[in-house]
Amino acid sequence: MTAITILRAGPLTTLQDAGRFGMLRHGISASGPMDRLAFAAAGAALPLAGSTAIEHTQGVSLETDTPVMLAFPEVRELRPGERLEVPPAAGNYGYVRFDREIEIAPVMGSRSTNVTVGLGGFKGRALRAGDRLALGGEGSAIVPPSTPRSTEGPFRVIWGIHADLFSPSLRERFAAASFGVSPHLDRMGVRLEDSAGVLKDQRRLTLVSDAIVPGDIQILGDGTPVVLMRDHQPTGGYPRIATIIDADLDRFAQMRPGTRVSFQPVRV
Amino acid sequence: MASIQPLGDRAVLVRFADSLSEAANREAIGFAASLDANMPEGVEEVAPGLVSVLLRTRAGTDFWRLSGELRLRLGEPQASPAGRTHEVAISFDGEDLPEVAGLTGLAPENFINRHNEGELRILATGFAPGFVYCGFHPEALIVPRRVQVRAEVPAGTVLFAAGQTAITATPIRTGWHVIGRTEFQNFDLTAMPPTRLAPGDLVRFVNVR
Repeated sequence: MTAITILRAGPLTTLQDAGRFGMLRHGISASGPMDRLAFAAAGAALPLAGSTAIEHTQGVSLETDTPVMLAFPEVRELRPGERLEVPPAAGNYGYVRFDREIEIAPVMGSRSTNVTVGLGGFKGRALRAGDRLALGGEGSAIVPPSTPRSTEGPFRVIWGIHADLFSPSLRERFAAASFGVSPHLDRMGVRLEDSAGVLKDQRRLTLVSDAIVPGDIQILGDGTPVVLMRDHQPTGGYPRIATIIDADLDRFAQMRPGTRVSFQPVRV
Repeated sequence: MASIQPLGDRAVLVRFADSLSEAANREAIGFAASLDANMPEGVEEVAPGLVSVLLRTRAGTDFWRLSGELRLRLGEPQASPAGRTHEVAISFDGEDLPEVAGLTGLAPENFINRHNEGELRILATGFAPGFVYCGFHPEALIVPRRVQVRAEVPAGTVLFAAGQTAITATPIRTGWHVIGRTEFQNFDLTAMPPTRLAPGDLVRFVNVR
């Protein structure tokens, strides 16, 4: 078998392609890269790239039994007998892409791993040392993303479906405050620290479940804000005060624990 | 009247009520079926929920244009999808069954009979792959959720709360009462579609002895 072997992988190292879209009505969220722009940049660095990347959190070490071109996004050729140490990404998530496909049967049209459910990708789980990824047919040309990333400043949000359950003064404080990114973050969601106590007195509400989208900021019963990410539950019943806009969510995913973040309401 | 709200800048939620009701659920299912039959421009995916319909949109789709079109469509007669009927066999050996029967003032045997008496509708799939909400039971069978969330229950667990029976298709944590289990598997990741029960379908529960 022509394959890549994982020699070391941090937690949350998974296979991701563009995502598993169209399955929300079956209770399956799309997954896909936490940082779509970094994912695309690694693909666009190669003349041809397979659709599936290794998404890593603290670097990853690989070897190969056949010469293979890869990008992380630095391009290099990896030869049998060499060990490649991919450094950790500047934020939380980095990507390694190859000049050919990873030969894993797609699940519902996608090779993305949904770690929450345990489906897709490599046996539905995170990669670990010793896993072998078979390499298949050649990839295709990847068009680099045309929209530049917003680089700094507050994350733009649209008031959420339950924003009217929060008083105007609380919403003002929410928009003025900064929150800390907590160490409790994964592909499902990012817990924020509300050190200013903006949401601490929010009363518990029992709401009918509605669809969740990536970027929704839900407020748990104890007042903790959680930003829901790519492996989110498809529906939920916690109040959602706002939703981070699509163009800012990839940058948000890269915020390291301890970073201060703030939110700026915008209109559709 | 239904509300049409942006859910971020890549989705629109059409909500028929703020709380769960038979009427709002039927409206959501019907409206989703109408959209399926004729997708508005810019919409990539439609997903019906308990009382709302999610429309996932392409980048650059104008919310106000789309919401205007949806408002017009809401005024038209909606599809009423012909649901299929499924039989689901349940072993009523869940650990909360005695407590739930007690809350309704019924002996477990009688509770089971009442539970299985009428056909229920699939209200929605959500929360987890293939997880279905079935409703509604008569008022006499309505009990609140548990106070404590259970660590994890396996696929095929039959849950009960809030006038509904729910069936898990993957392992999940739950605050609902565990009343039984079923061999019925509503999620098969190798099948297309991957779920068998669709919103609007009917289920008839039978007791495995």
